Amino acid sequence: MSELLSIGISHHTASVDIREKMWLNIDETKEAVSHLLKKRFQECVVISTCNRTELYGTASALPDPSDVQRFLIDFKKATGSVRDEHFTNAIGTNAVSHLFRVAAGIESQVIGDIQILNQVKESFQISRELDALGPLLNHLMQSALHVGKRVRTETQICEGAVSISYAAVELANKIFADLSKKAVLLIGAGETGELTLKHLIGRGIGSVKVANRTREKADELVTRMSGSVVDYKDLQEALRSVDIVISSVTSPSYIVQPQHVQSVMKQRSHNPLFIIDIGVPRNVDPRCKKIDNVFLYDIDSLHTIVERNVDHRRDELPKVKDIIEEEVNAFIKWQNSLSVGPTIHDLRNVFESIRAEEVEKNINRFSPDDRQLIDIVTKRIINKILHQPTTALKDGAEDQGRNKETLQRINALRELFGIAGHKLNGNEKR
Amino acid sequence: MCKSFSLLVAALERNFSREPSARCWMILRREKPTTGFIFSSDFVIFSTAKSFIEACMFLQTSVDVLVVAMPLFYGVVVFLYALSFFRESALAARLKPVLLRITVFLHLLYILARTAAFDHPPITTVYEIMTILAACIAVGYLYIEMRTRARNTGFFILLLAFIFQLASSMFIKDLIEIEPVLRSRLLGFHVSATLLGYTGISLSAAYGFLYLMLYHEIKSSRFGVIYKRLPNLEMLEQMSTNSEMFGFLTLSVGIAIGFFWLPLAFDNVSYWDPKLIGTLFIWVLYLIGIVAKRRFGWQGRKMMIVSLVGFGFVFLSMTLINFGLSGFHKFH
Repeated sequence: MSELLSIGISHHTASVDIREKMWLNIDETKEAVSHLLKKRFQECVVISTCNRTELYGTASALPDPSDVQRFLIDFKKATGSVRDEHFTNAIGTNAVSHLFRVAAGIESQVIGDIQILNQVKESFQISRELDALGPLLNHLMQSALHVGKRVRTETQICEGAVSISYAAVELANKIFADLSKKAVLLIGAGETGELTLKHLIGRGIGSVKVANRTREKADELVTRMSGSVVDYKDLQEALRSVDIVISSVTSPSYIVQPQHVQSVMKQRSHNPLFIIDIGVPRNVDPRCKKIDNVFLYDIDSLHTIVERNVDHRRDELPKVKDIIEEEVNAFIKWQNSLSVGPTIHDLRNVFESIRAEEVEKNINRFSPDDRQLIDIVTKRIINKILHQPTTALKDGAEDQGRNKETLQRINALRELFGIAGHKLNGNEKR
Repeated sequence: MCKSFSLLVAALERNFSREPSARCWMILRREKPTTGFIFSSDFVIFSTAKSFIEACMFLQTSVDVLVVAMPLFYGVVVFLYALSFFRESALAARLKPVLLRITVFLHLLYILARTAAFDHPPITTVYEIMTILAACIAVGYLYIEMRTRARNTGFFILLLAFIFQLASSMFIKDLIEIEPVLRSRLLGFHVSATLLGYTGISLSAAYGFLYLMLYHEIKSSRFGVIYKRLPNLEMLEQMSTNSEMFGFLTLSVGIAIGFFWLPLAFDNVSYWDPKLIGTLFIWVLYLIGIVAKRRFGWQGRKMMIVSLVGFGFVFLSMTLINFGLSGFHKFH
């Protein structure tokens, strides 16, 4: 019977420089999967993102996890820096539930990160192209995608911005109807400011202006983002014609004053002005907040939004875990339904072959009249012995609450009667 | 012929039993008061009158049912919109647009049935007008919902429709005989234009209210259910401004027709009517608001407050003046 093994390295166990070393691009992923299929696994999927590199494989006799780890380290030529303790392994049900947790986004660095589902889909695709999927992994990956979809529609785990820059963009979307008709001014060239600008461009902001003390830096940014440069001295003037201001300069005093904003508001006929002040110390006088139609947010208030959203996502965790448990159970039930039948069949075959062999060996000791009788009697004995375990197995497979128990029983049976290596029709690679 | 028939039926309605054939017999007697004989042509009159009265009875029954059903329908619609807004119920979100369309359709049927059953459009008393106002608000909202695809403001808007319809259904009377002066076609235009104006103003105020709530939440960084579920500020402002412009224009037309109709309808005309003055006052207030918007670039919060204050006056005009003061606008 095929067993499932997962081996992985993630942000839980390894720092970014280690994860970087283990990251596989698409070509490397294909190569690694092909290699692993040759020797170690019957089915194989490799998922690699900046936060995790994970491998899922099935085999009737699983390879030693450390052997697979060594293969991965050698494959990425990362001997020395990446060590065994950076890896986590899981077998069977634990591996299934781990994959589902990953797909649901609750193993992500930022809880509820949507990106991961696309990566899972991509890896699924790669393995399918390489013909590296049998019924077990095929069903597993499809179930994982299903989990991701369910979590997104049935819970709010992905809702609300969870980074400063996204929170600012979300706010802009609550103030303005159509960002493509709005202009943004970036003052200074901090990392968060630039990221916020990038997100706004991603949402189709109308036009971009950049002002910086050193003009070259502004020029450089503008060539990358396609916009126009505003002279730092003409800031006041620029405020008249933009709708969103992102400010992140290092300045000992406020660079935007309330009286100044007040006069600008008059000139811009009180069109709403959204100011994102991510400078520390603050760039915009907080008194500007009191002016009508001016929406001023500093880094602290944006942090508050992010924290609230993260809390909200955490509140959704129980719902997500319920979904995962439900889907893990459904998966095991599916797996059991495939393995209970063949196991019973194999078990009967083992007993039958022993019986037939013994009868065959001793058949000459009986009179011709008794020979047929002895065949019937021995068959009856075997049937009676096997009756109880057979019904117990079948009943267990039908009861969803005893999925894990059934799986353990099957494994125990196969091991005890030496049918562990027997081929299973349903779970073998095509 | 038809009008005299209906008047006849109305008179019979009050005086005689509700059994149709008995009433037909009475009509026959009225139509033929001088002769004691019944001719074959009388049977034609008889059967016409009979089917006419049966139709009237059917209309009467439909009106009787709908007058109770309408506030119930609005109640359920408002409840569904509230459920999907505050509790994020997916089922309510799926059902609400369907039920809203059904309710609007039934409401239009109800108005038609009323018009047919009582032989005048329901514009003669304040409670008749309230049901029209409720229908206008519901239709107006449905239009906005279909255009903007923003389905989350319904609770606040349709609540107004529900309140108007509830008040109407509770106090409305089945009037058959009305002042002849109220049968003028011009009056129909006057009332419908003014009502559309008030509808625009009500919608504008409701969206203004939503704008102010969202504005407050964004300004004070308290992001609750309002922040989460409402569309953005700019869209709310646009909805409010558009409804306001629509309301102002139709109100202007309504007032103009009123001024034109007044000397035609009454012999000695006095313009000192509280409702007239109240409406003119509201009209001037909105004019100032619109001019201020153009001239001084008033935007956002200020304009929304103007729209709410305007609605306050409309409400006063609708209630105080209708119930407290007398004037030529009082017809019953």
